[in-house]
Amino acid sequence: MTVEIDTQSMIETNVRHYAEEVNNIKISVKNLEAYFGKNKVLKNINLDIPEKKVIAIIGPSGCGKSTFLRCINRMHEVVGGKITGSITLDGENVMDTDPVLIRKKIGMVFQKPNPFPTMSIANNVVAGLKLNGFRNRKKLKEIVEKSLKQAALWDEVKDHLNDSGANISGGQQQRLCIARTIAVNPEVILMDEPASALDPISTTKIEELIFELKKDYTIVIVTHNMQQAARVSDYTAFFYMGELVEYSETKKMFVAPGKKQTEDYITGRFG
Amino acid sequence: MERHFEKELDELKTTINKMASIVDEQVENSFKDMEHAEVRLFKDIKHRDREVDAYDNLIMAQCESLLALYQPVASDLRYILTAIKIDSQLERCGDIAVNIVQRIKKTDNFRDIITQTDLPEMAKIAREMVKDAITSFINSDVEIAKTIWKKDDIVDDYNKKIFKQLVEMIQANPTLAEVCSHLIVLARQIERLADHATNISEDVIFLVDAEIIAHKKKLSNYQLPGEENAHS
Repeated sequence: MTVEIDTQSMIETNVRHYAEEVNNIKISVKNLEAYFGKNKVLKNINLDIPEKKVIAIIGPSGCGKSTFLRCINRMHEVVGGKITGSITLDGENVMDTDPVLIRKKIGMVFQKPNPFPTMSIANNVVAGLKLNGFRNRKKLKEIVEKSLKQAALWDEVKDHLNDSGANISGGQQQRLCIARTIAVNPEVILMDEPASALDPISTTKIEELIFELKKDYTIVIVTHNMQQAARVSDYTAFFYMGELVEYSETKKMFVAPGKKQTEDYITGRFG
Repeated sequence: MERHFEKELDELKTTINKMASIVDEQVENSFKDMEHAEVRLFKDIKHRDREVDAYDNLIMAQCESLLALYQPVASDLRYILTAIKIDSQLERCGDIAVNIVQRIKKTDNFRDIITQTDLPEMAKIAREMVKDAITSFINSDVEIAKTIWKKDDIVDDYNKKIFKQLVEMIQANPTLAEVCSHLIVLARQIERLADHATNISEDVIFLVDAEIIAHKKKLSNYQLPGEENAHS
């Protein structure tokens, strides 16, 4: 299947529209190509991510969604991949910046909740800070409370903060991971299928949390759940075979997508 | 392999097309009675209105099931939303067909009065509008849908003109007050029928082009209280 010629101009028009609307582009991706060895997995991706909005990345398995996410915080190179093109965060090229600093500014939440099992709930939250040498106990306590409140977990765990992070439910563990991510005060949060391993109630809590978090953070979420993308995001990007097929306002994408490929994918008539 | 969703969506399409063709016949028959100024098909029309009502309920149930079970998006979502709206318009058209023959029944033997007004011309245009609205929906034909709006203005003008004609008749001959009053209501019913056809045509635009055009002109400079900055 080939992408029609007008795709690029359509995406550029949409990007201009966002820039005019939000006046602030947090992440700008230009001519991004990502490789695993000689295999090109992302092809000429151009996409601007507005500040304090939620951007959903959708597409079939193997389309490059997760690779795209990992390019943003330079995790792609950790798994042996290579990148060409540019990704800027507030105008600064991510590729020219210390990856540790980038990952501090761009936090990530994974599909499977991964709290540190030997650490308490409180220590899980501030693990990143402690690793960076932060030792002020009073401040750490404040950050634990603030982060857990922001992750909508405080009320459920405040009376047993010293229990193991592995002894809470899967949904709570995922919110604990989100608390751990926001404890280091990032600017962007990347979420790779954050609710796919959770039950519907926990999923709803994560989705509600995303609504709250976007007041303070820019969020990029990869999801296979189309309804979830429609519910939580402001903008949606549809990837197919390493190409960005369509990027537009989520409401528009799910009511009247501009491309037939997108329509076929979201209505389940793909392939 | 056909998916369950597509099967159910096709069933909805079949149901609404059946309902549309019955309503089309109902309107056709009610105007036939009006043309002859006698009630020949009253019982048929009244009886078949129950079928229209039953389809109305069935379509609502089918749409409810599709929305609840499949969370459709894009053109599928637009079709179901349109079906809900058009179902309601068709049901009202069916009611109007019954109302028209009821009025005719009350004005039986006054064929001359009908022909002295512009009622036959008005009915002809409204009839075309309903037919075109149904055709545009079944064929997703935006071009036909767009021709309907212009006709609505003509029907509105006829309604005003006929009101005047009938008031003048009453003034000239007060014994005609009752029958002319019925005919004023009849004209109003035909005008409503044309409105429903117009609404259907607007829904067809949404179905095909995803554009909401209902009340567009009227609302061009209007924001709901509290919504002024909601989308900025």
